[in-house]
Amino acid sequence: MSGAPSLWWIDWRLSRASLVRETIGRFLCFCLLGSAFLSLLLSGGASRFLAGRYAITAVLRAEVPSAEAEGLARKVAALPPVRSAAYRDPETAWKEFLRAYPGLDSAGGAGGNPMPGYIEIRIRPDRLTGAEVGLVASALRSVSHVEQVLAGEAWLPRLLRIGRIASRVCWGIFGAFLAGFFLVGRLQERARAVALAGDFAFLAERGVPAGRLAVLRAASAAVSGFLLAAAGTSAGGGALFLLLGKFPFLEGVIGPPSDLLLPRTAAAIVLFSCAAALLSAAASLLGWRAARSGRK
Amino acid sequence: MIPGTRRILSALLAAAVSLGVFFPAPAPAARDVAAELRKERGRLLEMKEREEKTALELTEALRKEKLSKGRVGELQKRLKLQRSLLSRIDRKVSALNERLERAEKAVRELEAAHGQARTDLQRAEVVAFAGQRAGAGDPWYPSSRERERHLMRVYLEADAEGVARITRARERKEEELSGLERQGAVTERKMAIEKKVGDTLLSRQEEERRRLAGIEREKKRKEKELKSLRARIARMESVVSRVERQVKERERLARKRAARGSTAKEPAESPRRFASLSGGLSAPLSGKVVTRFGRQHDTTFDVTIENRGVEIEAPSGASVKSVGQGEVAFAGAVSGFGNVLIVQHGGGLFSVYGRLDTFLVKQGEAVKKETVVGSLPESPSGKSVLYLELRAGGTAIDPTSAIPLER
Repeated sequence: MSGAPSLWWIDWRLSRASLVRETIGRFLCFCLLGSAFLSLLLSGGASRFLAGRYAITAVLRAEVPSAEAEGLARKVAALPPVRSAAYRDPETAWKEFLRAYPGLDSAGGAGGNPMPGYIEIRIRPDRLTGAEVGLVASALRSVSHVEQVLAGEAWLPRLLRIGRIASRVCWGIFGAFLAGFFLVGRLQERARAVALAGDFAFLAERGVPAGRLAVLRAASAAVSGFLLAAAGTSAGGGALFLLLGKFPFLEGVIGPPSDLLLPRTAAAIVLFSCAAALLSAAASLLGWRAARSGRK
Repeated sequence: MIPGTRRILSALLAAAVSLGVFFPAPAPAARDVAAELRKERGRLLEMKEREEKTALELTEALRKEKLSKGRVGELQKRLKLQRSLLSRIDRKVSALNERLERAEKAVRELEAAHGQARTDLQRAEVVAFAGQRAGAGDPWYPSSRERERHLMRVYLEADAEGVARITRARERKEEELSGLERQGAVTERKMAIEKKVGDTLLSRQEEERRRLAGIEREKKRKEKELKSLRARIARMESVVSRVERQVKERERLARKRAARGSTAKEPAESPRRFASLSGGLSAPLSGKVVTRFGRQHDTTFDVTIENRGVEIEAPSGASVKSVGQGEVAFAGAVSGFGNVLIVQHGGGLFSVYGRLDTFLVKQGEAVKKETVVGSLPESPSGKSVLYLELRAGGTAIDPTSAIPLER
């Protein structure tokens, strides 16, 4: 090892105990933030929840054969905004109707089952917009087999607006937590810089530039922040995976566990880690500056 | 007594008188016998004419019978057709009644179904209202709610359509029912008319049968009469031929006496008149003439009868006296006249008393005027009838012209 001491891990060498505590705390925070980030990412805010409760119903004409209805459902399912399209025959529709109105069990309707078959179309959560829904509905209305399209035009814009607000609120809360985490990190960095101010002055007297010292400290904070964020997010993702497996009803809000294994999720984790590295570096620099200004 | 029989009996009586004259009495002159024979032949011819007439009447009766049978057959045919028509109408009425029952049942079922459908519809409306209230404002499943509302609309529309369909079906059935009732009434009226026609035909057939039975009775009577007439003709022919033989015998004897040279000539006994009899004639009994002499029209049988004597109604058991002096030429029974007594007054004059109960004189016994010769039979009604005939030279004359009788 050369005579010039390495400045990369100077904080680790000078204040190991406090750094370990901070690192543990940050890791835990990254776990929480990572799982929240992934949840928000998968759910799209309230989009998945709303998409799970919204469906377009294409009521078919009574004389449409089942085979043709099935074929039509397959064609509809192939449309880009459509997540799924399922054909319900009149018998199924009748059963669903009786479940919805149990008082009509014995009525039966004059002349047998009057219910028509229908196709239930679910929209992808990320495509649940008024324009996409209108596109699908107009496509369905042009089909001669379809008697009526129930797309909730009366209440869908309001629902979408509520969804957007809910998403923003969720992301806002996440951002607030992230900001809080950043502020806490800055305070920790400042406190450590103040605590190590004598050591830094000693180094400066021996010719180590203060700027280099600050940059190297920020760089090491970024690296450690990246690693901690990646590890914490991965751990949070794993916990989320287990949670979704254990509580399937959460899938309707967050999404299926398999989505966590998608490359785009990994890319998002990497991006999140990078962002965390930048924030860590920024917190280190801001803490250094605050410590220096406080000393003068 | 039927007129034909009466005529035959008269002829027989005449023959009997002739026999009484020819056989028991002393033989009259040959000229008288020949004249009598001619008269008997005339009577025979008359009987034959009557036979022909009766045969014609029988033929007419047969024609009428055939005609009547034809009418009966035609009526039977019409009745058969009528019955067939009635049977068809009856079947139609039965079919209509069945259809009527079915329609009534269908109407009842439709009414029940209509009531049930209306109840179901009301219940569905209540359920729909409650369901909508329960699901209203649920923000978590808006699409499902929207679909359920739509399906409920479909259900209610189907229910309402079902009620309307049942209502229409019931109205159609009710119309059909009233149509069937009208049709049934028309058919029953038609059946009543046809039954009336059938009854008329039946009564006409019965009437025709009665007429046919009358014709058949008439036919049988005519046949019997013809048979009897023919038998009597045969008997009369036998009598006539016997008389002819006797006439020939007398002529032969006369020729034989003439050949012996006897110049004595028998004075010809010219026929005398009843009015020339000594003491005249008196009534055989007191009574009323009920059957006149000569041709009489019988209104009962619509025929003309020729009476050769008169019938006098008198109290039962009354005594019968001889109308004049003479000798009993015949006393015995003659078919159709009962006990008959013939008194020969001489000169070809005879008086005949028929329907007697008893004879008080014997054949060959001489009687005086108003001598009781017999008596009338007893009768429950208290009245009896005497047949009186007067013959002069073989010809029957009206007794009322020679004897004062109460008419």
